[in-house]
Amino acid sequence: MATQTVGRTATDAASRPPGHGRRNEDARPAIWFLAPFLLLYVLFIIGPALYGLLMSFFSTSLVKPGLGSFVGVDNYAEALQSSAFWTSLWHTIWFTILTTPPLVVLAFVLALLADRVSRGRWFFRLAFFAPYVLPSAVMALIWIWIFTPGLGLLETALGKIGISSPNWLGDESVAMVSLAIATVWWTLGFNFVLYLAGLQDIPRELYEAAAIDGAGPWQQIRMITVPLLARTTTLVVVLQVIASLKVFDQMYIMTAGGPNFATRSVLQYIYDEGFTNFRVGYASALSMLFFLVVLAVSAAWFILVRPQEKEA
Amino acid sequence: MAATTLDRPGTGAQATPPDVQTRVKLFNRICAGVLIAFALLWLVPLAWALDTALKPNAETTKTTWAIENPTLEAFTNTLQNTDILKWYGASFITSAMTALLTVLTASMAAYAISRMRFRYKNVVFWIVLAGIMIPGQVLIVPQFREFSTVNLLNTFWAVILPQVPTAIAVFIFKQFFDGLPKELEEAARIDGASRFRIYRQVVMPLTRPAVAAVAIFTFVFTWNNLLWPLLVLTNPDLMTIPVGLSTVQGAFGIRYADTMASAILGALPLIAVFLLFQRNIVEGIAGTGLKG
Amino acid sequence: MTGVPASPPGSGGPVLSRRSFLRNAAAVTGVTLGGAALAGCSSPVVSGLAVSRSAPGGLDYWNLFGGGDGVRMQEMLDGFRKANPDVGLSAVTLTWGNPYYTKLSLATIGDKPPGVAVSHLTRMKNLVKADLLQELREEDLARHGLTADKFNEQTWKAGLVDGKVYAIPLDTHPIVTFYNTDVCKKAGLLDAGGKLKPLDSEEAFTEAMQRAKAVTGGFGGVIPINNETATPWRVFWSLYSQLGGEMLADNGTRVTIDDDKATQVLDLLSGVTKSQLMPSSIDYQGSVAMFANGQAAFLFQGEWEISTFQTAKTPFSMTLFPNLFGGDRYACQADSHTLVLPKQPTDDPELLDRSLRLVRSMLDQSNTWAAGGHVPSWRSYLDSEDFKKLSPQSNYASAADAAAYDPEGWYSGSGSNFEIVTGSAIGSAMSGQQSPAAALAQMHDQLGTLAATDSPL
Repeated sequence: MATQTVGRTATDAASRPPGHGRRNEDARPAIWFLAPFLLLYVLFIIGPALYGLLMSFFSTSLVKPGLGSFVGVDNYAEALQSSAFWTSLWHTIWFTILTTPPLVVLAFVLALLADRVSRGRWFFRLAFFAPYVLPSAVMALIWIWIFTPGLGLLETALGKIGISSPNWLGDESVAMVSLAIATVWWTLGFNFVLYLAGLQDIPRELYEAAAIDGAGPWQQIRMITVPLLARTTTLVVVLQVIASLKVFDQMYIMTAGGPNFATRSVLQYIYDEGFTNFRVGYASALSMLFFLVVLAVSAAWFILVRPQEKEA
Repeated sequence: MAATTLDRPGTGAQATPPDVQTRVKLFNRICAGVLIAFALLWLVPLAWALDTALKPNAETTKTTWAIENPTLEAFTNTLQNTDILKWYGASFITSAMTALLTVLTASMAAYAISRMRFRYKNVVFWIVLAGIMIPGQVLIVPQFREFSTVNLLNTFWAVILPQVPTAIAVFIFKQFFDGLPKELEEAARIDGASRFRIYRQVVMPLTRPAVAAVAIFTFVFTWNNLLWPLLVLTNPDLMTIPVGLSTVQGAFGIRYADTMASAILGALPLIAVFLLFQRNIVEGIAGTGLKG
Repeated sequence: MTGVPASPPGSGGPVLSRRSFLRNAAAVTGVTLGGAALAGCSSPVVSGLAVSRSAPGGLDYWNLFGGGDGVRMQEMLDGFRKANPDVGLSAVTLTWGNPYYTKLSLATIGDKPPGVAVSHLTRMKNLVKADLLQELREEDLARHGLTADKFNEQTWKAGLVDGKVYAIPLDTHPIVTFYNTDVCKKAGLLDAGGKLKPLDSEEAFTEAMQRAKAVTGGFGGVIPINNETATPWRVFWSLYSQLGGEMLADNGTRVTIDDDKATQVLDLLSGVTKSQLMPSSIDYQGSVAMFANGQAAFLFQGEWEISTFQTAKTPFSMTLFPNLFGGDRYACQADSHTLVLPKQPTDDPELLDRSLRLVRSMLDQSNTWAAGGHVPSWRSYLDSEDFKKLSPQSNYASAADAAAYDPEGWYSGSGSNFEIVTGSAIGSAMSGQQSPAAALAQMHDQLGTLAATDSPL
């Protein structure tokens, strides 16, 4: 971007020192501007990341000072051979599978519906997005109450129409589904808003033209809306998957990883090993493996998005 | 961006045929109906929580919406028997400080990257970008160790500091700055203003949307963060709302009205934030989403 | 967001005024709340931002007692406050189990531990190994009259670590038998004095269940299984210990399960649910409710549920957990609540004294605590006439001497992973989800992994 002066004679270009200084001329002020952020960044992001990597090769204990004894790759070997690790990974994946489709599809459908309705959009936004701002603890307490055996709203409501409820949070095979239901209620609003914004960016003329051509609403959605929202959908899916991988709060408060560890997620397993069992070295190795999983998903998204960017 | 419904006459050369119009009207009615049903369904949990909180504890065993003896005793119980007011304070302080520091540090760093020329600029930018890849949860173990070593556990700083360096905030600000026209800054430069003055008096006043978005999002995310404060704030005096509420479950047992009252009280501040800043939040999400 | 909107996209008059109303209302609420919060907590604000210690002259006390126990504990704490107005006592209840011990450990590591905390005896040993507790020296204890002879001998000995004192026992809380006196009378299970005839063999046990079931029309007895690992473990461990079996050795590094004995117990337990003498699917609250309204005549659970049934006016009494296999060598699972002093970052003799004053006060109020069903360890109450007359607690007071504590290991103790692992396996056998053999194999497998892991302590 060429510099422009506003009502001044163009003396600036001539008055700057020519040659080498130009590339680095702002070095001094730049340091001051960057310093606060970079300092905190190195201290609290980069530093710990490297320290965590270091600890993963030792048998560090939380209650003992220092690094403990060097164990090489034993922590990684233990993690990869540990059924607890793989089951917690599976639980996390299962949770992702349970939550991502509803959170993407339902949000899309509801946004579509909301887009068609002209008035009262603020009401729908409130209804769907209000849960999103709640702290996880609030959401958890409310849903624990709804899921309570005998007294819970869900059991009573289903009972009225003749469906018997399982023990929502106490039955191993159902507990994760219950957590998924609560999570969908909690986080749908974000995707809803995202989709709604995307929908409103689609020019109305496209729809009108299609309607004139005799296309019904269904076809309009299939032919116009879905393709144009492809980028938003990819973003929603990837954000959703990564957020699901990092799930912790719901499990911690609502089931404590139970019953019988059936809902323990990877992050909760890391927490258990590091802070309940004090095995900080092992937990660091687990964290590194977890990081690789998240990285892989992000990389997959990056690869997916690049061709889309080129198309757009 | 006024909404249009499809049963208005088109602005094209032809109006839509009448039979299509009625079909579309019916379809829209159905859409509205389904949407309202879902919205009401979505409101049920919060409404139920409020309903339960207004009952006396003994009455909560009757699973009906009707309240025989409406009372606020659950709320007063919670206010008296828990440290919820202290939790409010702790959450407010940590969230506000984090938001403030994040906006300051991130915008300054982004300004340097966007507007200044210095060697290694790209290196710095890529290092910051890499940070977006690292999920915070991966760092809890070494961060805990770090704070334990310097004796800063159980302080608000332990909660605030690790949440300040947010690579995404830098990114957002940089995008925004890149989009600002440079004329005003150049003029100020010529007038001899220092970089910092330009930043403070010229650029930042124009950056309000980004500041609002980053501040609000940081505030909300810090407020709702459970895992990290759970680890570092074991002193019940200092707990933030999520951490404090996570102990309520065990302490209250079957006093369901009290539990719901504490949940509602815990939710109030953020609902207030949401109502106040709805538009900023929504625009923030929309902006991030569409720009990728 | 990359552009600067010239003005907010308006949507019409009425919406704007509603929005501004909401805005104002929310703003007022927010400011009020924020102000109230800040006003009400200026000292935590300071202590939160500064690296300072807690208020001088104060005392922090952590416990994990909810429900009926929680109410009783509050009563006792109020008693302490009345007698010691100079001590600013701040008591906190945290969730029972792993979360409590994790928080306690993290607080001690973080240099802000409470002055006094409750700890199960079995967990206390691990806290000592992790170097998180203060050793209690004889001279300090003597100053407050807390000498070894004042406590139940077995319990005191059980709490020593390498001969040193780290904890003051408050009670022993064994698993016991709750029985419905009305139903048992009708079923002919009571003796002349109205007390339950001892169930001292497998046959006697099964017969009692059958007779009780005939009277109740529901079940003979009940043991919670769903979403519950502690009770199945406790029932199993009692019977298994009566047979003389062991589970762990060398501080938890070796698994030493006697498969025959374990199978015998698992067969008995799974058989009792299979034949529907006891329900095969019931959770903790459900089991309590079932006993309270007479659908089951027997409940095998910790003694702490006594208040629930007293309030529900169930006609019941309590006695020792059945001695099916032990003969002379009676055993029943129990743990003890103890009071410990976490390691403080600085030496503070005044804090030590305040802490020990609280400990002494709790012991002096053992009568209140025992009313909650626990067997007191403080001899001056345990040996007193008042306690001997306290029924039904006195029925099972001897359990304190026959207490079978959980086997030792860094991963063991009340509410620990050890209990979760074993309790789930046993529970799954009882609910019929697995065969006893499969459950036993699961235990071997999971305990083996835990045992093979190096102790972090």
